[in-house]
Parts: sequence; C-alpha cells; structure tokens
Amino acid sequence: MATNPESEAPAPTPRHGRHVPCWLALVVLLAGLAAVVAWAYARFGVDRPVVYDDPQEHFKYGSTGGEREAGFPYWIWRVLPTVCEDYLPGEGYASLGMIYEAGHDLPVGMSKRRVTGLDRVFLNCAVCHASTVRDAPGAAPRVFAGMPANTLDLLRFQRFFFDCAADARFSPSYVIPAIAAAGGDLDLIDHYLIYPLAVLLMRDQVMTLRKRFDFVNHQPEWGPGRVDTFNSAKVIFNFPLDRADPAELIGTVDFPSIWNQRLREGMQLHWDGNNTKVEERNRSAAFGTGATPSTLDRASIRRMEEWLLDAGPPPWPYGIDPPTAARGAAIYREYCANCHGVSGKDFTGAYVGTVLPVDEIGTDRHRLDSYTRTLAVNQGLLYAGYGDERFSHFRKTHGYASMPLDGLWLRAPYLHNGSVPTLRDLLEPAADRPSHFYRGNDVYDPVKVGFVSNTASQGGGAFFVYDTRIAGNGNQGHEGPAYGTDLPPADKDALVEFLKTF
Amino acid sequence: MSPKRSHTWRWIFTVVVLLAVLIVTGAALGWYKLLREVDQPPFASAEERFKYGSIGGENEAGIPYWIFVVLPRMFPEYLPGPGGYASLGVPWEEGHELPVGFTKKTVGFPRVSNTCAVCHTASYRESPEAPPVFVIAGPAHTNDIQGFFSFLSQAARDPRFNADNILAEIGLVTDLSWLDRGLYRFLIIPLTHQALLARNFDWMSRADMAPWGPGRDDAMNLTKYFMLNMPEDGTYGPTDCPSIWNLDKYQPDEGMRLNWDGATYDARSVITDSALGIVAKPQADFAAQMDWLVEYLGSLPPPEYPFPVDQALATTGRGLFAAQCARCHASDRTGKSVRVDEVGTDPNRIASWNKEAAIAANRTATELGAERRGMVEEPLDGYIAVHLDGVWLRAPYLHNGSVPTLRDLLTPAADRPAEFYRGYDVYDQQNVGFVTQGVAAEREGSRYDTTRRGNGNQGHEYGVNLSDADKDALIEYLKTL
Repeated sequence: MATNPESEAPAPTPRHGRHVPCWLALVVLLAGLAAVVAWAYARFGVDRPVVYDDPQEHFKYGSTGGEREAGFPYWIWRVLPTVCEDYLPGEGYASLGMIYEAGHDLPVGMSKRRVTGLDRVFLNCAVCHASTVRDAPGAAPRVFAGMPANTLDLLRFQRFFFDCAADARFSPSYVIPAIAAAGGDLDLIDHYLIYPLAVLLMRDQVMTLRKRFDFVNHQPEWGPGRVDTFNSAKVIFNFPLDRADPAELIGTVDFPSIWNQRLREGMQLHWDGNNTKVEERNRSAAFGTGATPSTLDRASIRRMEEWLLDAGPPPWPYGIDPPTAARGAAIYREYCANCHGVSGKDFTGAYVGTVLPVDEIGTDRHRLDSYTRTLAVNQGLLYAGYGDERFSHFRKTHGYASMPLDGLWLRAPYLHNGSVPTLRDLLEPAADRPSHFYRGNDVYDPVKVGFVSNTASQGGGAFFVYDTRIAGNGNQGHEGPAYGTDLPPADKDALVEFLKTF
Repeated sequence: MSPKRSHTWRWIFTVVVLLAVLIVTGAALGWYKLLREVDQPPFASAEERFKYGSIGGENEAGIPYWIFVVLPRMFPEYLPGPGGYASLGVPWEEGHELPVGFTKKTVGFPRVSNTCAVCHTASYRESPEAPPVFVIAGPAHTNDIQGFFSFLSQAARDPRFNADNILAEIGLVTDLSWLDRGLYRFLIIPLTHQALLARNFDWMSRADMAPWGPGRDDAMNLTKYFMLNMPEDGTYGPTDCPSIWNLDKYQPDEGMRLNWDGATYDARSVITDSALGIVAKPQADFAAQMDWLVEYLGSLPPPEYPFPVDQALATTGRGLFAAQCARCHASDRTGKSVRVDEVGTDPNRIASWNKEAAIAANRTATELGAERRGMVEEPLDGYIAVHLDGVWLRAPYLHNGSVPTLRDLLTPAADRPAEFYRGYDVYDQQNVGFVTQGVAAEREGSRYDTTRRGNGNQGHEYGVNLSDADKDALIEYLKTL
C-alpha cells in the first residue's frame, strides 16, 4: 500500500530512483495492452452494415441483420461460383436468376455487413421481391423493386450451397487460393486465420441447414419465382418432416408482390390468409433472410417496412385502349370487384383480403395443407421474450385469401402456385389453360399480359418447364361463370385491357 | 496503539467490510437472479387463470423457460412426431405462447410449470376442418402425458444435453446477458439436468405394460413412486383423466367419494393431492390457491352438448335411463363405490392403490403443510358409480377409457371394439364419443389394445340387450346430461 501515508511515515522511501523504471514499465505495458484491446475491438468488435440513403436502394441492398449469424464471408461468397462451378447451371449467380445492377458488387437482394471481424453477406427481402422486365429478348432489363422475383430459382440457389458445402473443394485449400485469384486482397490475419476458419464454420452451418432442408429433396422442383414458405418455416422448429403427414409436404407458391402494405393492414395476409398483422408477417418472412429475434436489425428493417407501406407498382408501360378498358371496367365491377377491390389503388370490396373456402375457389390445395395448425401454435413461441414482438396472429385457415390486384401485370404467372402463365389464360376454363409452359423469362407479353411462356430457351439458357400435372402445380380452380371464364372472348379481352390499369 | 497494530486493524476492518459488501451484494444478486418471485400478469377471467395461472409449481418443479423452448428443437426424435410440444396432443390455443395447462412465471428467471388444466381440458372438433374447441375442466383425452415424461427423460440422458448445445440453441431465439448465460451454463442447466436424471421413469415403459396412450395416466403409481417414494410393486392401473367440473355434486357427508376407486374423501382433498403432484412443495399461497380451485371447480357447470339434439327422442330416452341407468347413476348409489365383482370392469386400477399407500399419502401431505381431509385409509374394492354430467365429452368410457363411444358401451363386451385409436378429437355425433377409426384417427391418435393388461373393456354390461331403437333414444337422452 504505497499510498498509505501512515504506514510509510516511519520508513520514508529512499528507493524513489529505483521506482521510475518500474512505473514506466507498467505504463508501457498498460498502453500496449490498451492498444491491443483497441485494435482487437476495431478489428472484431465492429457491427456495421452498408447503408443506403435512398429507401429503394436500401430495400434492394440494405440489411435485415441476418448476416450477423447466417452471413457468408464476402470473399467466400464471391469465389464459390468458381470453386463449385459445376453446380451452377451457367455463369455465376446470375445463372440462378439473380439480378446484377451496374455499380454494385452484390446482386439485388444481398446485403453486406462488417461483423465478427469480416465482411459478411446474406439475403434480404428484395431477393424474392424484386425482378426485371424486358420488352424483347435483346432489350435492356428494367429492375422493379417489390415485384415477385420471377426469375430467381431459390431452390437451386439453396442447393448450390448445399452441394458445394458437401464437396471436398469447400475447404480452405481450395477457397483461399481462389480468393487470391479473384483479387481478394486478404491481409495476413484474414489469409491465415480468419478466412480458413470462416470456411470451416460456414461449411458446418450450411451442412446443418442441408440436413434440415432435406424435405426439398422429396418435392417437385420449385422452378424460378417460387418457394415453399411454410415447410421452410417448420425448419425453424426443426420439425422431423420425414415423419410428417405426406399431405403437408408440398407447399410451393409464387413469390408475391409486396407493395402498398398500408392498404393491406388488417387483411388476411399470405396466400392462405394465415396472418393479419403486417409487421409480424414481415418478421416471419425475415427468418428467410437469416434474421432471428437476436440478430434482427430493427432500425434497418423498419426503414424497409416504411418504404413498403406506400411504395406502389410501376404503371403499365405499353399503352392501353381506353374504350376497351372502359368496357372491361364494367365487367370487372360485376365479376371481380367484390373479391379483388375497386382498382389497383382502392382495395375496397366485401371479400378483399379475406379467405374463401378452398372448395369454393377450387384451386390447388397443397399450399393450404402445407400450413398446419401444429405449425401455427408453435409460431406463438417466435419472438417470445421480446414483449409485443411475440407472434400472436398466425391461424390455420381452410381456404385462400382474395388478394388486391395492384401491379397485377408484374405478378404473372397467376394463382398462388403460379400455375397459369398469363391473365388471358386465367380467363379460360382450367381445361383450356396451358398444361405445360416455361417459367423464368423476363420478356413481357403485353397481349396476353404476363411473361413470355412459350419459349424454351434464350441466350443459351433453358427455361424451367412448369408441368401443371405435378402435385402442387395444379392449374384448376378460379373458374366458372362467377370467375369470368364463360364470358365471350371479346369481353375477356376487354377485362384484360382494364386490368392493365392496376 | 502502535502504528503497526493500527495498520493490522485497518486491514482486518477493510477486509471484513469488503467481504460483507461482497456477500450482501452476492446474496442480493443471487436472490434477484434465482429466487425473486414476480407475479404473473393478471388474468382476464377465471377461465384464463385456470388455463395459465401458476399454482406454485415453478419454484420446485419448474423447467427453466428457455430450456423448455429449445428442447423440442434439439431432440425432435424423442417426440411422437413433428410439431414440438403440439405433437404430444396438448390443447394449444393459436396465438398463445404456451399450451393450455402450461404456466410461465419468473422465479429469479422465467420458468415453466403446469396447472390442473394440463390434464383437465378437453378438445373437440365438429369436423376435421373445424377449429378445435377447448373445454376447461373436461378430460384431456388427447394429451400424451407419458410421452411428455419420456421426452424429458430421454433428452436428459442424451449426451447432447449440455450447456454448450443448449446455450447455442437458446442463442438462436433470444439474447441472454453474459450474466444470465453464466447462470445458465454453471447453475441452471446442470441443476435442471440433475433433476431430470434423478427421476426414474423406467417403470412407465415396461415391456409387459402397454403405453398409457393419450388422455391417461397411472395416477396412483405416480403418487406412490414419485410422491411417496414407495418401491415398485408391479401393479399397473392407467385411467382416463376425469372431468372436474361441477364438483359440488360430490357430497362427502352423504358418503360420496372421489377418484375412480373412491380413494379420496372430498373435492378439496383430491384437488390438493393432484396439485401436490405438480407443485412438489407448496408455497405460502398454496392454501389460497386450493380455496380458489375448490370454489371455482365446485360450481363450474358442465358444457352443454353443442350439436343438435332430437328432443322427442331424448324424452323417450329419459324413460329408458330411469329404467336402465338411474339405479346407479341417479340415485343414492351415485358417487359411491360399486364392488368390482358387481360391475365387472378391469380390476387393475383397484390393485394399484392400497391402505398403506393412503396412510403414507396422508402423512406426506400433512408434512408438506397441506390441510385436507385426505385419502381413505381403508382397503378399496370397487369403482365409483359416477355422476354423468357432461358425459358426452367424457369419451372414451369406463375408468380405463377402454370403450370408445356410448353406443359401444351399450354393446356386450365381446362385441365392443377390441382395438381403436385414442387421442383424435373429431366428434362422432352418431355414436357419442370421438372418431376412433380411419386414416386421420390413426395418424393423430394412438392405438389402444383392449387385450393388454389394464386395458380390458369388459364389465358394465348394462343396457346391452336393448333394441337398437331404444339405444338410439337412450343415447339421445345422455347427450342432454
């Protein structure tokens, strides 16, 4: 106790001179330690996403927080298409239908965050809710945020990572040199410590997911623009799906558009209308972007939600014949408005956003049966411990919800499972709808209103063949006198003309 | 005082003060983090309180909340199927955090325990597509109680049940502070593990005894082995969870008794003893909790039959009831024991309880501070002729739930279904009971084999010789009780 004057009084210290180097050494040591801590904090303690001022850019590239736990180390993400080239249908992630915009090193729907000492990337909402439209095969694509990701093959995207992680090449000895070759200028610590470790950790993580997502290997191919939302949700709970009722194992549906959420508040959301709360539905979908209660970036996702409240679809760009559309408006009022709302901006209607029993609508019931009451009650545990964020609005329903039709032209193919390629086809009885067609093309067909669906391949890439006879792919239902499929052809044309205004 | 001594005293003083501060702080923190009781938020109704209100089980017998949440995700292979706890058939209201009969309460940290509702909430559906209706105080015929025990026990024995794995899984659902993580790692997880391993559940799954199946438990053996620590005696007496509405109908002064064999004197005793099975060690407010339950369940009316009733037919049935059934079920015999050699039903349940056990149970309950008249310290040789209020929702029938429907019960034992599926909650209005055959019943339910020990469907062969028309009328009347 050098500072105790009483104890030191009897023996005044003559050793002052010898203390100086001691103190100095201590100071130097402490300063060194502080420097190491500061460096380590700066190197590993940072948790900072790449942010975008523009709300639409933020929607396309901003973070949901998923990178914190699920994020792929940036350079691994970059080089995997080279390392595991043979697991991709073409060149790079674009061959899976991902969209690259000029000035971005990541595709639409991927965000980047500096966390745990390295840049990590993962999916955000836009990966499933943004896509492109071209006027002709050679034309430049236009990107629209909020529309269904019509070209993305999410199942093949998942499978690419599962296959690659299971491959011997997914190891530091293949990945690290590939990073150097791709121009990844890793520093010594990254090169010899962080990235080799990251490869192993990512492999473990992806292999765990691969096991839990085994159910997809027993399903028909999803094809581009589709996802099995709620069997994937069962993975959150690690339900042993190999013991599940076979009737619930196919729930593949189209990605929906996600504009105008403010007008949808209180409606029965999701294809089967199983949830009535927009924010809860959003956080449920955010699990798909890796965001869990403990990793969700609340401020960031709030900005996306706010943008989605009022963001609307782009208007029909190809010209409309006003007299025909006017005739169609009258037909729409008579046949469609009660269930689908007054217009693309006014969603008023007796049954809009409510569930119609499946026997009445008659569409394919696989998606309905994939969502079980058992899952619904378990979802009540999601976000438990986070106050009002705890999920409390999921309900088992027994039909499909009548959707508002804003931006309908960008929402092809139609019906919940995307089984009918164009609006004009939807107005035919099921027997006359195409039994096979091609999905994943972004070239638009302004006559039938939908994407070109009769072209097998383009630019060397083959499109996905959608077969309506496969389980879950049925194109029946939403037909009969009440649904306009018995109207004279001219009336159907007029109705389609009016629907272009949505 | 020499400077040296003064120095020493100062040291001692400083150390003592520091130690005291440390101990007091540590104790306060320990109390706050491990023992502090936080009242549950108030319940909107008595029904909600019955379903989710703590009766004090969290303190001694509670499972730490986050362990409860992650266990089904870590060990789905030990559950009967996909669906987490829902796969055990527990009634679970959509939008609710926990199934009916499960409580969440903070005692230092959030814990989960049970209430009476876990065994006493019945579920029925009008059709497979209809939402289930949960009737509190009804028999929980879908709950796989043994499955729950066995899940916990198998999970605890699995080497993956360790702090690393559990905390990793908890990390996916919540963000614990470093202090809470430390408490979980070094205290809460090891203690939970120890408590689960300490229980020996092996007696429930002997090869020579059929599984209890949904809606049943071996109540007297649970009492003997878990509460009284008596040695295993090889008996096997699983019975249906009973309905517990309208308990005031049991008039102890008139000699009426509770439990299937009349082992208990009055409602307060049976409620108390059942609660002790959940609570393990009564808290200060235990007596008040029992008062509330006795009062609430005493006057809670049975549910009315929710489907159409043919009143004219029921009126005909009333006469048949008076002739065929009233002698035991609406007379001064009701609520009292009928010798097993008279009624002829499966005797295994009788054998699972005895006078010594009753004496031990009364002693233990008294030691735990529970005040009640208690269990009958006499040999028992029969089954209670029960009141039939709300009998429509009390299927399957007989004490061991061996007869699926009322119509089957009005059939000679030899012609009753030898095998059927229990635990499916779609209602069978035709036969009065639940649907027990067919693809869905087989998928959601469990096979019940009447040839297994304790599962016999013999006896109570009353009214079996009535004409089909008379049976229709009698069944129609029984719907109205």
